[in-house]
Amino acid sequence: MISRRSLLGASAALALGLLPGMVAGPLGAAPLGKVRELGVLRVVVYKDNRPWSWEEGGRLTGLDVDLARAIAAKLGVRADIAELAADESVDDDLRHGVWKGGLLGFAPGDLMLHIPFDRTFAARNDQVAIIAPYYRESFGFVGAGGEVDLEAPPTGWRGHRLAAELDSIPDFYLIGSFGGILARDVTHYPSGAQAVAAVASGKADAVLASRAQIEEAVHGGAKLSLRKGPLPAFTSPGWDIGMAVKESSRTLGDAVEEIVAAMASSGEMKALFAPYGVEWTPALAG
Amino acid sequence: MKGRLTRALSGAAIVTLAMAAAPLLAEGPTDADLMNDAATPGDVLTYGMGPQAQRFSPLKAINASNVAKLVPAFAASLGGEKQRGQEAQPIVYDGTIYVTGSYSRVFAFDARTGEEKWQYDARLPEAIMPCCDVVNRGAAIYGDKIIFATLDAHMVALNRHTGKVIWNKQTADYQAGYSATAAPMVVKGKVIYGNSGGEFGITGAVEARDVNTGELVWRRPTIEGNMGTLNGKDNGITGKANASWTGDLWKTGGGATWLGGTYDPETNLLFFGTGNPAPWNSHLRPGDNLYTSSTLAIDPDTGVIKWHFQTTPHDGWDFDGVNEFIPFDATINGKPMKLGAKADRNGYFFVLDRTNGKFISASKFVMQTTWANGFNKNGRPNYNDANRPGAPGEAAKGSSVFASPSFLGGKNWMPMAYSQDTGLFYVPSNDWGMDIWNEPIAYKKGAAYLGAGFTIKPIAEDHIGALRAMDPRTGKIVWEYKNKAPLWGGVLSTAGNLVFTGTPEGYLKAFDARTGQELWKFQTGSGVVGSPVTWEQDGEQYVAVMSGWGGAVPLWGGEVAKSFKDINQGGSLWVFKLPR
Repeated sequence: MISRRSLLGASAALALGLLPGMVAGPLGAAPLGKVRELGVLRVVVYKDNRPWSWEEGGRLTGLDVDLARAIAAKLGVRADIAELAADESVDDDLRHGVWKGGLLGFAPGDLMLHIPFDRTFAARNDQVAIIAPYYRESFGFVGAGGEVDLEAPPTGWRGHRLAAELDSIPDFYLIGSFGGILARDVTHYPSGAQAVAAVASGKADAVLASRAQIEEAVHGGAKLSLRKGPLPAFTSPGWDIGMAVKESSRTLGDAVEEIVAAMASSGEMKALFAPYGVEWTPALAG
Repeated sequence: MKGRLTRALSGAAIVTLAMAAAPLLAEGPTDADLMNDAATPGDVLTYGMGPQAQRFSPLKAINASNVAKLVPAFAASLGGEKQRGQEAQPIVYDGTIYVTGSYSRVFAFDARTGEEKWQYDARLPEAIMPCCDVVNRGAAIYGDKIIFATLDAHMVALNRHTGKVIWNKQTADYQAGYSATAAPMVVKGKVIYGNSGGEFGITGAVEARDVNTGELVWRRPTIEGNMGTLNGKDNGITGKANASWTGDLWKTGGGATWLGGTYDPETNLLFFGTGNPAPWNSHLRPGDNLYTSSTLAIDPDTGVIKWHFQTTPHDGWDFDGVNEFIPFDATINGKPMKLGAKADRNGYFFVLDRTNGKFISASKFVMQTTWANGFNKNGRPNYNDANRPGAPGEAAKGSSVFASPSFLGGKNWMPMAYSQDTGLFYVPSNDWGMDIWNEPIAYKKGAAYLGAGFTIKPIAEDHIGALRAMDPRTGKIVWEYKNKAPLWGGVLSTAGNLVFTGTPEGYLKAFDARTGQELWKFQTGSGVVGSPVTWEQDGEQYVAVMSGWGGAVPLWGGEVAKSFKDINQGGSLWVFKLPR
């Protein structure tokens, strides 16, 4: 641990050394140096985003929260974790959470987690650097109680109680595909985790949700079975999740990338996911 | 420092006075005064200069022949670092001008000198992410109270002499995405207001609270299937459950009433417009999706819907129907009628029978409406089906559609005016369109999502904004004034044959109400996106407007931004009169 940290410090110093103009005094403009001087890394995570970041019993918990703390610890600083309510798109969230801040004074973070790692998306968000892809997410269809023939064509689910997160790809797929034949059968929930919980508690028969949402519920005791075959005409192949720093914070971004890469290869990332029952799947770009 | 001391002393003096003569100070505008506001030019007591919101003044001391001499009497700054959009309409009463400012602030200025009497700053949670800037559109006055809504969805009643809080009620949960920016109104002792929210998953509602206590009297959801309440008891569902919605989408169907409403004492009806339906992709919600993109007539005593008219059935272009419905009387086909008019986001100017909601006419008031080719005699749009944005998911990237007006509308929030002299409506409109397409690479809350991409574009070489005089009897445009930047401020008409409105370029302008000839302009130093008012004081006529560029327009860039990129922020009240 100590050796890795000092090693990282050395490499960061090397990076800084390549750009001497950026090192300016004790509280210099160099973002990594500034974080170290202040002893705090401000990390923005999504509010109500179980299993990644959510409040339970007044405490902030989740995979992204643990990851934020691990990164701060490896930088040798304290983590100041701020929750951000999601806006209409992640593009807006990057403006609020990373490069500009909120109109009412929400301070941008040094680092924001759970940002899609995608070339096209990154190109149109040029105020930030999207870095360190750390997980591959995808959707899965699960049922409980054997009510629904999971492997049947979706039209065969008609008349069963289906659950989905409001305004999500699973929602649009279930209510919009196959001529809208399932539209009347879908109950909407504010989050994917709540949609999965509805199936676990018997309020619904099946749910289309993210793999992390499903696995965390199963870990919590939900008896759910997964559809094995692909969903016909389902357009989302999954996506990589990374992080974002300000475009001018490359030194910090480089240090974080090295930390995340080291956590992936050492098995630490897999171990970080394990307590939540979520199988760590490396990002395709990782 | 000295100024602060003076203010503290005068505050103390007021408190002493209040203790000595409490009943006297509790006096102020009554229900009857508010209802009569349009006929009392010595004050401005309501948002809209009368409950019908015609924004017409009988004053004519300032008129088409002398307006060129109009000069500033004073200006007052809202100060601080909190500039941004100033969309408020001033309230004027008893020698005081009350205005709301950006960031949920209220100011009381001396109406003769412009000196500040007091200021109230709402304490706002930093986690609020307002969709469309930190604006506020104005306050209501009643008795000893000034009442306004805050960005974190509270309704606050302040003592109008001191600026101290009398009551403060949460009207919705800002953490669930609700906000509030419209001016409330007071009808029959009740504060009546709509709701707003930028987040998906909300449903619109109109609420009434006791003006003295802030307690809820009734609530009327705008989406069919949702239950209304009266005095804490169920009061019937809105419409008929699932008549025009599939599954459980009515629970989150949109239809926010974010612009507030108008009231017609003659028919005892409130008129509230409703926002567009959710989700945005219309292919997922077959049916008319009532009562989104509509005007609702509501009984102010019970909150029961008396009639509705939907201006954009099954909206697919983000055409909110929130715009103000202004009651007026006119003779149509030889028959005197009680009517109402609304210039909609969708580019059509509607005239309805306000006693029953019956369709009279819909006339295009913008250059181009690609989504529909007029309305049939039953008041249904003749859709152009090829121009409805496609269903996502069917192709990786749906085809791009050019739609006009853009989602910011042929007319947005800025209120129009009606002149009882000319019989014309003066509509602040914008000519712009948008390319809209399904966005295959979209993300929400860190997850893949099917979004829509759009680019707003001008559709004319010489202008985006256009102030248009519409004849409601014929649907014809009588004159128009073109403006380079989008118009975003309200309009005032007067018996002096004048029409006033502001421009983002910073001018307050006066036009001949009959010809549209520009007669006067004054540069206020920042964009004007507020609504002007006029009143009489000490035998002279005054005109006031807020200056301060902002609102939703600067948040969308593209080609449209070229017309306003050099406009600086501000925050001032400007007051004008003729030289003695």
